[in-house]
Amino acid sequence: MINYPKKPNPSLLVLIGIPTGILFSIFSFLQIGFNFEDFKNNLSNRYLVTDPLFDPKWAWAWENSSEALVETIQIAILASIVGCAIALPLSFYASRATNLNKYSYFVYKSFLNLVRTIPDLFWAMIFTVAVGIGPFAGVLALLMFSLAIMGKLLSETIDSIDPGPMEAAKATGASHNQSVFTSALPQVLPNFTAYFLYIFELCIRASVILGLVGAGGVGRIIETQRIFLRFDRISPIIVLILVVVILIEQFSVWLRRKIL
Amino acid sequence: MNIPKQPLNQRIFKYSLTSLIVVSAIWSASGLEITLDRILNAPAQIATLVGAMFPLDLSSEAFDRIIPKVFESLFIAWAGTVIGAIFSFPISFLAANNITIGSVNRVIKQILNGIRAFPELILAFVFLPITGLGPLTGTLAVGIHSIGTLGKLSSEVIEGIDEGPLESIKASGGSKINELTFGVIPQVMPTITSYWLYRFEINLRASAVLGVVGAGGVGQELINQLRFRDFPRAGTVLICTIILVLTADTISAAIRNRIIKGKTVKS
Repeated sequence: MINYPKKPNPSLLVLIGIPTGILFSIFSFLQIGFNFEDFKNNLSNRYLVTDPLFDPKWAWAWENSSEALVETIQIAILASIVGCAIALPLSFYASRATNLNKYSYFVYKSFLNLVRTIPDLFWAMIFTVAVGIGPFAGVLALLMFSLAIMGKLLSETIDSIDPGPMEAAKATGASHNQSVFTSALPQVLPNFTAYFLYIFELCIRASVILGLVGAGGVGRIIETQRIFLRFDRISPIIVLILVVVILIEQFSVWLRRKIL
Repeated sequence: MNIPKQPLNQRIFKYSLTSLIVVSAIWSASGLEITLDRILNAPAQIATLVGAMFPLDLSSEAFDRIIPKVFESLFIAWAGTVIGAIFSFPISFLAANNITIGSVNRVIKQILNGIRAFPELILAFVFLPITGLGPLTGTLAVGIHSIGTLGKLSSEVIEGIDEGPLESIKASGGSKINELTFGVIPQVMPTITSYWLYRFEINLRASAVLGVVGAGGVGQELINQLRFRDFPRAGTVLICTIILVLTADTISAAIRNRIIKGKTVKS
């Protein structure tokens, strides 16, 4: 007779979580109001979208969007560089390993969390109202976006550094700030570079849509054509953006491999 | 004292990288016509705007308008994640190179890459004429984008599994289906579920934004209030969004932690 081990009882999380999840999903789908009749009727309108979408006006797009595309890339470059540069000192303050003061740690950590909860396009809307329509608002918006992501990633990396080198530096008589500078910073610099490239890619993707709320870049062109449902002009712009995004990503992958 | 020097080519690489970053930053700043006094003026301008938002509009009429929109964003994000999870789960098995046969996985992976390349907002306004103004458009956009990202992440999890259990199932006479259900799925399920929850956190932010093109959610409310210069109400919208995102993030992070690390045993 084989003694089979008894299957453990399902945990409370599974017992409550799975039914709640399923009920909430059903409730969500009901709230969204999927109406099959309407959907079928509207599906006959699809020629409005699909026909022009597959009839791209290449010459028009190239003439009108190349300048805005460069602007998009510039917004992403500037925002990711400045954002990450600001986030570098901040994340040392927002880590328990390097900030010995419990209260200032809490303040910095909550600040980063707060910045992270506001979506990028909300930042863009706020800044277009505050500093005026144009790429400057876009730069500020993406700056907050990259600041938030870098702050989270880097402060968590600093949390998990090897405390040995810092201790060694302190044993030789270094002050706390000196030990952070000489032992904690070099440990996280490779991660910082990798995160920076990752954030730069995210910024390139995010900067495309900034123009929808007037924060500069190629989204501005998309928005004006979208209002007139000129999908024949939008589709080549989207393809152009995709090509640029893929090229930049390849470059960043190559650079990351070279650095790490 | 003899301090070892950094090798020459490493130093050259380091300096050229630094100069590349500096040059591209200057090029961008000059191309965007960002002048020093615009930068210096910005903090005061932002402070003026934030000042105009307070005191917040806490009238019941504002809440009657805002709260349903905030919850609409939540429903869009959740339903979109469910769509993404349901469709990406089988696809990710086809995309994993240790499960599928032949070069199916390469084709599927390219399709997933293609889906991922389109931001939710662009998907949303392409769907808009077909599915109409409203949360359904947002859900479809979020869902389809999630299929791409979740499919990629899940297939990478499946590729990283331990092959031992599969071999032992094969050795005891199990079929290919048995291998999947008893060898692969129990190994990958915790990680994949936590990715679903993580994707939900991202989708919540995405769905909040989708209202900008009229695809439902709280973004519509924010852009309208800002356009009509009703700053106290815009402030309320922002605060409500922050509360929703923070709450959802905290709950989801706690569940993810529990799934990955397991039960904390009290002794």
